[in-house]
Amino acid sequence: MINDFNYLKPGTLKEALAMYAEHDDCKVICGGQSLLIIMRQGMIAPEYLLDIKHVDELNYIKFDKKGGLKIGATTTHHAVEKSDVVKANYPALVAMENKLASIQVRNWGTICGNLAHADPAGDPAPVLIALKANIKVGSAKGERTMALDEFFVDYFETALQKGELVLEIQVPVPQPKTGTAYQKFNLLESDMGIVGVAASITLNGNKKCKEAKIVLGNAGPIPKRSKRAEEFLAGKALNDDVFTEAGKIASEECEPVADIHASEEYRKHLISVLTKRILKKAYEEARG
Amino acid sequence: MIEKYAVLYPHTKFHVINTHVRNIDGVAKVTGRAVYTFDVKLPGMLYGKILRSPHPHAKILNIDFSKALELPGVMGVVTGKDTLGVKQGIWRRYKDLCDEQILPVDKVRYIGEPVAAVAAITEEIAEKVLNLIDVDYEVLPAVFEPLDAIKKDAPEIHEGFERNINVTRHIEWGDVEEAFEEADYIREDWFKCGGQAHMCMETRCAVSSYTPDGKLTIYHSNQSPYYMQALMAGVLGIREGDIRVISHYVGGGFGGKFELDGAIFCSAVLSMKLRRPVKIVYTREEDFIATKRRTPMYYYTRTGVKKDGTFCAREAKVFTNGGAYTGMGATALYLTGFFHSFPYRWKAYRYDGYRVYTNTLPSTSMRGFGAPQAMWCSEQQIEWIAADLGLDPIEMRRKNAHHEAYVIPGQATIQSCGIQQCFDEIQKWIKTKGKLPKNRAIGISAAGFMSGGIFNWFDTPYAFSAAMVIINQDGTVELHVGAQDIGQGSNTTLAIICAEALGVKVEDIKVHSGDTDFCPPDLGAWGSRQTLMAGNAVKMAAEDAKRQLLEFAYAQSGMNIVYDLDIKDRWVHAIARPERGNDYTELVKKALRGKDGHRIIGRGYYTPHRKGMISPAYSYMLQGVEVEVDEETGKIRLVDSLTAHDCGQPINHLGLIGQLEGAFSMAAGYGYLEYMPYEDGKLMNPNLVDYKVMRATEMPPTPVAEIDTYEPEGPYGAKEAGEGLTNPTAAAIGNALFHLFGIQIKECPIKPEMVLNTLKEKREKEKNSKK
Repeated sequence: MINDFNYLKPGTLKEALAMYAEHDDCKVICGGQSLLIIMRQGMIAPEYLLDIKHVDELNYIKFDKKGGLKIGATTTHHAVEKSDVVKANYPALVAMENKLASIQVRNWGTICGNLAHADPAGDPAPVLIALKANIKVGSAKGERTMALDEFFVDYFETALQKGELVLEIQVPVPQPKTGTAYQKFNLLESDMGIVGVAASITLNGNKKCKEAKIVLGNAGPIPKRSKRAEEFLAGKALNDDVFTEAGKIASEECEPVADIHASEEYRKHLISVLTKRILKKAYEEARG
Repeated sequence: MIEKYAVLYPHTKFHVINTHVRNIDGVAKVTGRAVYTFDVKLPGMLYGKILRSPHPHAKILNIDFSKALELPGVMGVVTGKDTLGVKQGIWRRYKDLCDEQILPVDKVRYIGEPVAAVAAITEEIAEKVLNLIDVDYEVLPAVFEPLDAIKKDAPEIHEGFERNINVTRHIEWGDVEEAFEEADYIREDWFKCGGQAHMCMETRCAVSSYTPDGKLTIYHSNQSPYYMQALMAGVLGIREGDIRVISHYVGGGFGGKFELDGAIFCSAVLSMKLRRPVKIVYTREEDFIATKRRTPMYYYTRTGVKKDGTFCAREAKVFTNGGAYTGMGATALYLTGFFHSFPYRWKAYRYDGYRVYTNTLPSTSMRGFGAPQAMWCSEQQIEWIAADLGLDPIEMRRKNAHHEAYVIPGQATIQSCGIQQCFDEIQKWIKTKGKLPKNRAIGISAAGFMSGGIFNWFDTPYAFSAAMVIINQDGTVELHVGAQDIGQGSNTTLAIICAEALGVKVEDIKVHSGDTDFCPPDLGAWGSRQTLMAGNAVKMAAEDAKRQLLEFAYAQSGMNIVYDLDIKDRWVHAIARPERGNDYTELVKKALRGKDGHRIIGRGYYTPHRKGMISPAYSYMLQGVEVEVDEETGKIRLVDSLTAHDCGQPINHLGLIGQLEGAFSMAAGYGYLEYMPYEDGKLMNPNLVDYKVMRATEMPPTPVAEIDTYEPEGPYGAKEAGEGLTNPTAAAIGNALFHLFGIQIKECPIKPEMVLNTLKEKREKEKNSKK
């Protein structure tokens, strides 16, 4: 049962930041799709909830060819999933959103909320990191921007400091000849992944790998880049054998934890299979 | 079959049965007007919560709730000491199987067992106060697996049950040893079958209201208001007639809601102590950890056949994980043994079942009632035997299958059986599928199921089913039934039967069910009994009322007595001259006057007699499931299916299809998704994130080929549907894996990791044998 709490409803971002600075035991809620579950399970019982759902100035999807994509903090999964600019420029993001939980969750939950919750099994983080996204956070004192890669600290822990809200996700325009893809392994189609892998491949003029990004979801406390596998791919001519080898490297590099759904060994195996498959998919997209 | 029947009796062409009838509760449900127990709110009502044992096995030394009573808003606390301490159970004829105190007085036997209950003015306070109750436990050694619990030095869970064996069941016919001697080939296998949560949409909940005049009214989500009334009378020491149980709308039962639960018992005890209504609603977690579940089983089965595939003998030994109490587990133990022989003719058969107490969540009945486990083992082993002998698995099954007028020695007589047509349909379907992609295969599995149980371990003095039909002056009909609609649509099915038998429209019928004050006693919704048993009672009651109407019509008509009158679709007519007749409503008005103003009341009842040991009738089915497996991850996907299904004459087509879809999803979940892992007696996934239930996205198409048969014992030829289909699917999935990779998986549910590991083992073995 959810404990009683005080409800704060700011009308503007300025108000929101001021309220957040003022109240100590306070959690931010927007979609509430992650927060309410842990509140109901009694894992947290905050004294205040700061509801930013109605802070309209944070509800936007903007895109331009130079600055790339900017998604405001209160933008729902649904909005991202249905956005024409996202569809046209970041199809991997749309594909990820299509399989994120259920329609009901996507209608109310937000992509930034998912990131702030920092569940290592979250779907958006691996894709966004593969797309080299940055995250803008801010408090009453000011704003700062960091690579999303550096945002995650530990299980359910981020670089957000006291009084700081997630404000925006920024995704640069992908380089030419880049393909990005994401796949998770689960038992029910709309579940979070037992493991997930996102990959981005950029090819150079002679169709060799100029740059690769591989991000493993739920294979450790945070969404984790498989840097050794990325290095292995750099400069290589790409083919199935190379992808298989990269998969092996990624699976050796990760540290998944066993639970009732899958053993550690099986998770590692899944990482190697998924990495292989997703690299191939990203490569095919990059090759065009 | 019904066409044949119609030639003999032309007036039996149906005007309501199996037409497109919408669920009569549908509008109330989709508009949110249906009041479930969860919705009930009474003046002055308190909210109850239950404190549960954190230990799998412990003595309760002392319970101190003095601090709890100091919290503002807390109205009272009850423990086992506030109860009569009655050890209750649903097998009332067998006192030693009545082993469960819902609030135990001195000992807990599983994690989650109730220890105390509180009532407070809000649910929040009630939950908070649980932390203020101090319980001193003496923790005892615990045992969790049946094969450990039967060991000599295992902890004793219930006094006087040697080796923790709770119940044994034995079924035997023919000379087993001799029949095995005749066999050319004998195969034996060990299987493990998992548990499964009932997962009702509505969790267990109750509102009890005890009034100073000594009457107790209980709103409760259950499958049998009569059972609840009778069992509560037993544990509370008051008369059945002083207890009223109301269960108008129930959000699912699946076999888990016809025994007493903590919600009904604790709310009643609190209400009697505090003289105020008390409501208890289980959380989803409580529903997982503190109700009951499908029985996990260890199955040994040995089967002997001739070279040509003729079945000779089968011998099975089963050890079930009974958990802490008996519940309906004793029946599941018998039925799994019986259905392990299904649907085949065995010259000789022997089954020995042992239900073993452990310190885990009690196991009980669940949709399929022991048969899903039986089929998971039997139908896979039969598939493997066919492969071992190089025989066609469908033809081998066909050769040995039940048929009409077959007598299962000492157990049952089969009166209707459409399984041969089921084989035909599935064979045709497999042919049309053609060559499948290389990561796909089709698995098949046969099954059958009962249409209500004959057993009366509950020791009821009442008829198993009863109904009353009252006709009002405007022709509307009050149908009172004790049958319970738990979402399966029995109210609609019974309204259809009533409308057909009486000759009126479905919208003329108002069904009164789910209230012990206004409905006749009936055993309720379990064991697939209501369509046949309550259906027969309703048909009899409606025919009784119709006979009274027709007596009057006959007298009025002055017809020659060789002619028969009937009513169809509100039209009273001579059967030989259907065009000549009168309006039913007019007839009712006149008949009322003729009866001195008394309404016409028809009565009906049904209790099976001379129908063997198990059930008056059996459904049959064969299912084919097309399965795709990702060879690199082991992930299973169901692509397509066909179920050939013989349920006699369907009464309600829409209801039938809905029931079969639901059964398929539950059966598939049992086959490859729904696992209940325990660690030291603690369930590790008591939530809907970690417990995997089929969703729409996982469901393949589930078309049904209906087989036309007529069951003489059923109302209008109907028999079971909706439970039996929980039985074949797990084995069909297993058999598809066998055909795809040649692997034999002996544990369900089949997790992807198991598929991968079994495949790896097999390939390594093959590699080594080549060396």
